[in-house]
Amino acid sequence: MPEQEITKTQEMVYELLVRDVMTKGVISVAPSTPMSGLREILRVNRISGTPVLDDGKLVGIISIEDFISWLADGGPECPVADRMTADVRAIYDDEPLVQAVCKLERLGFGRLPVLGRETGCLVGVITKGDIVSGLLKNLEVDYLNVEMRGSRSSHLFEDIVADQSLLVLKYQVRGADFKRAGACASGLKTTLRRLGVPPQTTRRAAVATYEAEMNLVVFTEGGRVTVEVEPELIRLKVEDGGPGIPDIEKAMQPGFSTAPDWVRELGFGAGMGLPNIRKCADRMRLDSTVGKGTRLEVEILMEQPDEAERHCAEVGA
Amino acid sequence: MKLNDIVQKLGLEVRAGAGALAAEVRGGYASDLLSDVIAHGRPGDLWVTLQTHPNTVAVASMNALAGIILVNGREPEAETLQKAQAENIALLVSALPAFEVVGRLYAWGLSGMRT
Amino acid sequence: MKLEEIRKVLDAEWFGGETSRTDCSDREVLLCHASDLMSDVLTFTGAGSLLLTGLTNAQVIRAAEISDFAGVCFVRGKKPQPEAVQLAQERGIAMLVTPLSMFESCGRLHAKGLPGGDRAREDAKCRSKK
Repeated sequence: MPEQEITKTQEMVYELLVRDVMTKGVISVAPSTPMSGLREILRVNRISGTPVLDDGKLVGIISIEDFISWLADGGPECPVADRMTADVRAIYDDEPLVQAVCKLERLGFGRLPVLGRETGCLVGVITKGDIVSGLLKNLEVDYLNVEMRGSRSSHLFEDIVADQSLLVLKYQVRGADFKRAGACASGLKTTLRRLGVPPQTTRRAAVATYEAEMNLVVFTEGGRVTVEVEPELIRLKVEDGGPGIPDIEKAMQPGFSTAPDWVRELGFGAGMGLPNIRKCADRMRLDSTVGKGTRLEVEILMEQPDEAERHCAEVGA
Repeated sequence: MKLNDIVQKLGLEVRAGAGALAAEVRGGYASDLLSDVIAHGRPGDLWVTLQTHPNTVAVASMNALAGIILVNGREPEAETLQKAQAENIALLVSALPAFEVVGRLYAWGLSGMRT
Repeated sequence: MKLEEIRKVLDAEWFGGETSRTDCSDREVLLCHASDLMSDVLTFTGAGSLLLTGLTNAQVIRAAEISDFAGVCFVRGKKPQPEAVQLAQERGIAMLVTPLSMFESCGRLHAKGLPGGDRAREDAKCRSKK
């Protein structure tokens, strides 16, 4: 077990209280309950012992071991009161779990009745099994939290000590290379995911890059894609050497496309590329000169942890 | 089912071909690939697509389709609109995505299968 | 809806070998997109979606992968091109092929209650980020 988890468990044993893990809704028997009836009670309820209550007051405890020794003695007709342990050890519900562990160890018992601090009445029973499952349950809840916290951007640059951090990824895109088109966006997505960038942010960066990459492939002889990853945001820069966009405003209109006809049969040319990029971006800037080239710059802010958690819940990720 | 009924039920906006709305719709076809529609579109089919290109009108004409529904709120290009008006091809717009439009048409009994 | 269930509804077959079937049948599909044009397919809120398409090139797989789709179902019995198959296997994108038309496929899945992508909601999500 990794070191972190061992410490976590130790912590929990001190933090958790008896009432956090005990079994409530306790089955109990009366002193007058016949021993012969005990077997059924233990079997049906799948318990290994039960407290003995006389008019609500804890007067003893009877276990399966007591039952077995009663059988060994020939199983004579007698009430529980005759075979129970009257000197009852109990624990209060507001004591830390570590106390229960110590007591159970010291006394060599399998279970302890739990009394409410205020009332002194029986509120539950705690067994070793309860302690173990209680700890496991709490560890599990913690796992979920750690995993979700782990997708925060700070995780990305966690081990790097600097006044400013920047990770730069560069890609070359060849014009008209339909076979490879999209490979950069795909590679970027894998990389961002591995770096621990939150899922929604990764997808936005990937989709924006993909659309930009497709524009390079369809319209230009090639270009360069540069992705700058910072703790708070991702910056995407796409540059090419031509032909340039004559009317940027028109180009930004959904549905407007200057793509050649045959491109539509390949699934492109719907005229949604630039509008799609704008949808993904928090900030977008497009400059172009006909005959010289085009420069696109996009900023995507990193998803915050509570957004990431809400998103996980939505998508069931 | 009459095209007019469908326009009412889906809340479609009519961009062209108002004179063609009395037509009987015999089935449905969903595709954005022109080559595909040319090959498999049958007369009387209602075509669901997000292609806004003028070529769609030519295809609809050639295959005697009942009309074109543009989805996701896509608006036809100017040239597409002109052509549709000239040839009296019903050009309709829906804000819903293709899956939803087709799902509803299907639920109302329109089929993609032809026996 | 699980992919295996969808496969049955569409009379579809797994494409891409045994691994495709065994790894993917249990995958949960949350939404359905029907399109042959990639820009429409590229959404960043559509994780766990199924794409119905008649387009068989590798770009389809790229687009599906970029948007974290659960799988792609090719309609009208169209078989994906070799590059597409290879890419799908590399990237773990499930592939189905159905003999049904796009219209029929959408119709059946819609009737089964599978939701479609909601453009309006997605656009609203984008706006809320600004």
